[in-house]
Amino acid sequence: MEKAKKSYKRLRSAKELNRVVAEFYLECHEAKARGKPVGWMPPMNGVIEIFYAMDLQPVFPENWSPVCAAFGLAPRNFEVSAGMGFSRDLCGYLRNIVGYVYGPMNEEGTPLGGLPEPDLIISAYGGCVPAMKILHTLERRFPEAKVHTSELPQVGYEKIRPYHLDYCVSETHRLIEWLTETTGRKLDYDRLKEVVRLSDRACELWDEIMSYRRFIPTPISAAELGVMFVMVTRQGTQVAVDFLTGLRDEVKERAEKGIGMIEEEKLRLFWDNIPMWYNMGLFNYFEKMGGVVVAETYSAAWSMRLDPDKPIESLARKSLVSYPMVSCTSIKKRRDMVLKACRDFHIDGAVLHSNKSCVPITLGQMDMKRALEEELGIPSVVIDGDHMDANNFSVAQFQTRADAFMEMLLEKKGLTP
Amino acid sequence: MTAFSIQPFIEAVHDSRERLAALASRGRKVLGYFCTYTPIEFIHAAGFVPVRILGGGTPIEQAASLTPTFICPYLRQALERALRGEYGFLSGVVQGYTCDVACGLINIWELNVPGDLYHTVPLPYQDSPDARKYFRQALRELGERLADIGGRVTDASLAASLDLYGNIRRRSLDLYRLRSQGRLALSAAELLSVVQAGLVTPPEDYLPMLEAFVEAAEARPQASERGVPVLVSGSVIDQPWVLEVIEASGARVVGDDLCTGLRAFSPPTGRGGDPTDRLMDRHFRRFPCPARMKAQERAPLLVDLAKGSRAEGVIFLIQKFCTPHLADLPVVMEALEAAGVRGLTVEMEETGLNEGQLRTRVESFLEMLGD
Ligand code: SF4
Ligand code: SF4
Repeated sequence: MEKAKKSYKRLRSAKELNRVVAEFYLECHEAKARGKPVGWMPPMNGVIEIFYAMDLQPVFPENWSPVCAAFGLAPRNFEVSAGMGFSRDLCGYLRNIVGYVYGPMNEEGTPLGGLPEPDLIISAYGGCVPAMKILHTLERRFPEAKVHTSELPQVGYEKIRPYHLDYCVSETHRLIEWLTETTGRKLDYDRLKEVVRLSDRACELWDEIMSYRRFIPTPISAAELGVMFVMVTRQGTQVAVDFLTGLRDEVKERAEKGIGMIEEEKLRLFWDNIPMWYNMGLFNYFEKMGGVVVAETYSAAWSMRLDPDKPIESLARKSLVSYPMVSCTSIKKRRDMVLKACRDFHIDGAVLHSNKSCVPITLGQMDMKRALEEELGIPSVVIDGDHMDANNFSVAQFQTRADAFMEMLLEKKGLTP
Repeated sequence: MTAFSIQPFIEAVHDSRERLAALASRGRKVLGYFCTYTPIEFIHAAGFVPVRILGGGTPIEQAASLTPTFICPYLRQALERALRGEYGFLSGVVQGYTCDVACGLINIWELNVPGDLYHTVPLPYQDSPDARKYFRQALRELGERLADIGGRVTDASLAASLDLYGNIRRRSLDLYRLRSQGRLALSAAELLSVVQAGLVTPPEDYLPMLEAFVEAAEARPQASERGVPVLVSGSVIDQPWVLEVIEASGARVVGDDLCTGLRAFSPPTGRGGDPTDRLMDRHFRRFPCPARMKAQERAPLLVDLAKGSRAEGVIFLIQKFCTPHLADLPVVMEALEAAGVRGLTVEMEETGLNEGQLRTRVESFLEMLGD
């Protein structure tokens, strides 16, 4: 498949990111080699901070899937899982990671050395069904690993009540007890507070970085979304804070100097749903007509604050809200967030990725489309795709729709391509 | 003695819209639900009629602009019906969180179909004192929401509703038992019609119908032992003819793992000190849906069910794109095969099943079982 060409004005921090990614995986392998317990866990919740505070090594199998997509490993993994009987209609993250661990996992030449095998698995009930089923399937693949199954209420963001949070708090305590018993490591609460402080600082920096997108031209675009890697894998560490501080400084400087992503920013676009991880260059496709993807839904997942003086409650809350903020449990809340982003960031048009691999994010998109049109007069275009499986995405269809959409937007603004 | 006839049930399904609309216009609120994990006893105890929303094979027109093509036909068709005004008698939708699509659908429904109450109960998965404490509060919240639209749940009303549904479930299981003993001349499709009537009829009206039917059935034993014994497994089957085709192809459905079947009844009741305890206890001890349990824990239960009903094969009737069922399939198949039971997967698409194809596939599956 033809890939769109790379953006020429990458951020310095984008290069820095490659180092952070390589170091993370190196750290994971070293931990395994040194006998530090390695735990596989679901993404985007408060378990990561507890792991860092207890000096355990977190590994995120779901995050490995974008890596596989970027390195071209996904198609082979899909073959393996399909061969096992996993339907091609299932979420690509599930099909990929299952194929990866049941296939020639970590064979010679696997990028970043692959994933070290788990000593612990934090399995889950909660979040989306594919995310649960991923962990349940991984449990079977690594029978030697010790398993703890955590629960998270599946409740819409705007519907969270104290009792939901209480249950999350008790589940968090249960997890800590289990980790203590299983690994013999004690949780030092002062250390936890420090980790939560770092985590909070990362969120604060994240929001600050995102807020610079209100500048025209935008100093950072969705093409740089890879930076969320630090939020997924490093939240609660100094590494994340340092990286984000550097990124903030760079973005701030660019904003102040009026440096954008392209020569002339004519159209400011919004992207809904997960990007095509196998073709991140797509974001730059809009550039030929002066379009920049300024903002996207996903970044909202880290728009929250944590209170270091109440570390357990903060982490419980983080676990509770992360999934609703980007899923169909809260279509209204998500719609409001998208409308706000489109207003704040002066968006001209929205690109809605109808993502076969992610039903929870795709459901409600049409109501969002209508709200954008009716409440803000912002037009949108729907792109059929898949964030993992290139077979469910047609570059030609994308280009035709994107071209027509941008022409329409330019005309609406009285501009020419 | 009452005549042994399924006609009243077929009529109950057929006329359900008019009956429920009449009920609603007389001021009795009707609330829809998608999944059998919804605490319907609670809704009933509040003074309302819980009705299971079905898709009924409706062709998709209006729902196409609100939902992607890659969600289960069941819920897409249900939304289509609602958009066409076929669910105008509903005052809203209440459900328990089971799968992502159902969760998204209730929210889309709320934005596009007028109603007074839309609510999802976030159900716990694993039984523990903390989970029960949490569940009790989730039910209390449901009670508050029902009160907002004029309902009132008391310990006494909840106990009465639990007893009522408990009796319906017990009687339904009686039918299953008679049938699996070969003492009930009723095809699987007919049995499904009997069950389906219960999903769309106020329980106080349905129970006497069911009781009379079971009584008549018991008095009139009739063997029906033809066909290769199979178990069907899946989620919602709202079109009985699918089972008709399967049996016409030479199979005899001796058991099911469907939420329009056994999973809605088993177990009939729960134990506990107060009515809420009883409701919660049943929730945790239900015969599991793949959305509620790890495949590796569910698989042995399904194997036991298949073996216990002496099925020689399992036919999976899966709604296309249904993540919980599809994700479990490899694990469940492996367990069945290890136990010497073979499986066939049939996906039900939006455009319906092709009868000829279904027949051919079932026939060759049965042939394979005979080898
Ligand atoms: S949120 Fe979407 S992409 Fe992530 S695991 Fe669930 S279905 Fe897949
Ligand atoms: S469990 Fe499957 S069939 Fe049932 S509503 Fe969800 S996706 Fe549809």
